[in-house]
Amino acid sequence: MKKLVSAPALFLWAGAFLIVGLLLAFWWAPVDASAMGFSQKIFYYHAPIAETSLVGFGVAFAAAVMYLRTQDLKWDRLGYVSVRLGLLFAVLVMFTGMIWGKSSWGVWWAWEPRLTTFLLVCFLYAAYFVLRSVVEEEQRRATYAAVFAVIAFIDVPITWFATRLIPEGLHPVVFKAGDTGMEGSMFASFMISMIGMTLLLAALIRHGWQIELLKDRVTDLKSILGG
Amino acid sequence: MSIEEGAKYVAAAYAIILAVLVAYYFMSARRVTVLRRDVELLEEETKRRRASAGGADAD
Amino acid sequence: MSGWGQIGAILRKDLIRELRTRDMLVSMALFALLAMVIFHWAFTVRGDTDLTYFTGGMLWVTFVFAMLLGLNRSFAQEKDEHCLDGLLLCPVDRVTIFLAKTVGNLVFLLIIQAVAVPVFVLFFVEGGFLEGLPAFLAVLLLADLGICALGTLLATISMNTRSRDLLLPILFLPLIVPLLVAATSATTLVLADGAGVREIGGRLLFMLGFDAVFLVVAWGTYDFAIGE
Repeated sequence: MKKLVSAPALFLWAGAFLIVGLLLAFWWAPVDASAMGFSQKIFYYHAPIAETSLVGFGVAFAAAVMYLRTQDLKWDRLGYVSVRLGLLFAVLVMFTGMIWGKSSWGVWWAWEPRLTTFLLVCFLYAAYFVLRSVVEEEQRRATYAAVFAVIAFIDVPITWFATRLIPEGLHPVVFKAGDTGMEGSMFASFMISMIGMTLLLAALIRHGWQIELLKDRVTDLKSILGG
Repeated sequence: MSIEEGAKYVAAAYAIILAVLVAYYFMSARRVTVLRRDVELLEEETKRRRASAGGADAD
Repeated sequence: MSGWGQIGAILRKDLIRELRTRDMLVSMALFALLAMVIFHWAFTVRGDTDLTYFTGGMLWVTFVFAMLLGLNRSFAQEKDEHCLDGLLLCPVDRVTIFLAKTVGNLVFLLIIQAVAVPVFVLFFVEGGFLEGLPAFLAVLLLADLGICALGTLLATISMNTRSRDLLLPILFLPLIVPLLVAATSATTLVLADGAGVREIGGRLLFMLGFDAVFLVVAWGTYDFAIGE
């Protein structure tokens, strides 16, 4: 059982799902009938990456709550690793979103609600690292980081909702998910890619967490040997 | 935008992303191996010292 | 002493101290007025530019930055003179300190706004203002509450770090953006389009929800933020 959820196993599963998802997306799912045409294919990894990024922040939120309850530093390490990966995926969302924007709307950047939200999320979680870097004391840094991770995660859906409040007409809503109306084959390809991406995140988090815990162990042992 | 052009964008982006993520995975895997070895060496060293310290006490 | 009495006592302490020195209020008010003048120059791209549609944005950007000044000040004093240590030694619930601090900051912000808003309306708003007053005040109060609650929590965290006042804007601004969006668009609707409470009801509700959520979150986490 433990072998099945180890990082290499998760990585292999992720690879399998991602490759199958990719093949299905390009050769099975139909080319989108709307003006977006072929560039809509980017959806099959743009959306899973976005979802994965949010899962990363969700894990960080859970880890933060666990840390605040138990004061066990291993949860702080999990939170740190999850935020780092969530942020990496969020940057990839912006990157793929801009490519999609360019290929289907002709502009690199549009103030589209979801893209705007992810821009803010990037700022939000960049601040998490700034916060960590200016507190020296281990326990205090972990506590502040946990408090901030809780607040930030709660702020994400609120931000997304707020971007809808910007008066319409001032910014063009070029794309709405509901309009696309996904076909069965599209949905299946999308789901498989999404599972693959989530498993990849799980593998990366496991590794990252292991690295942080091992680093702590090395520090401990060194201080024992030195002292 | 023609299909070929769109395909180029999409494929390029996908390749870059997967390259980044896979590289990240293997880098962290390497990191884990190196750190595991460090921990092992340090633990052995601690044990050795503890044993010799214990021996010294017995004398 | 009851919880309300304790809040009142801390609040009175902060107000008396501020009224003696007045350094925080004076600099916040001057900053707000200066910001308006600078906005006027920055946005008047032609001689006949009507700035009415920029009012919401200018107003809230000014107040958020003025509040950043005030928040840093209010906690720097506590920290420098070791007042906070004394406060923490008192048999007072940490949450009480949070509420008192939030209300104190809210009072300061309202004083600044009482000075700045009339000047602002005089400078920028063309046409009537009085009929929109109830809606405007509703926006003002709801946005202020959110700004002060979140600001107090984050200022407490940033004051305990190495970089202090440098950190606060970086933590505070991205989190406050949703509230800022709602308050800005609601204010613009009221001042420029003559909307009433009903037209901006959705935005008011959103702000109320924001305030409620972050008051609860701050309530739950303030113990951790203020430290031992």
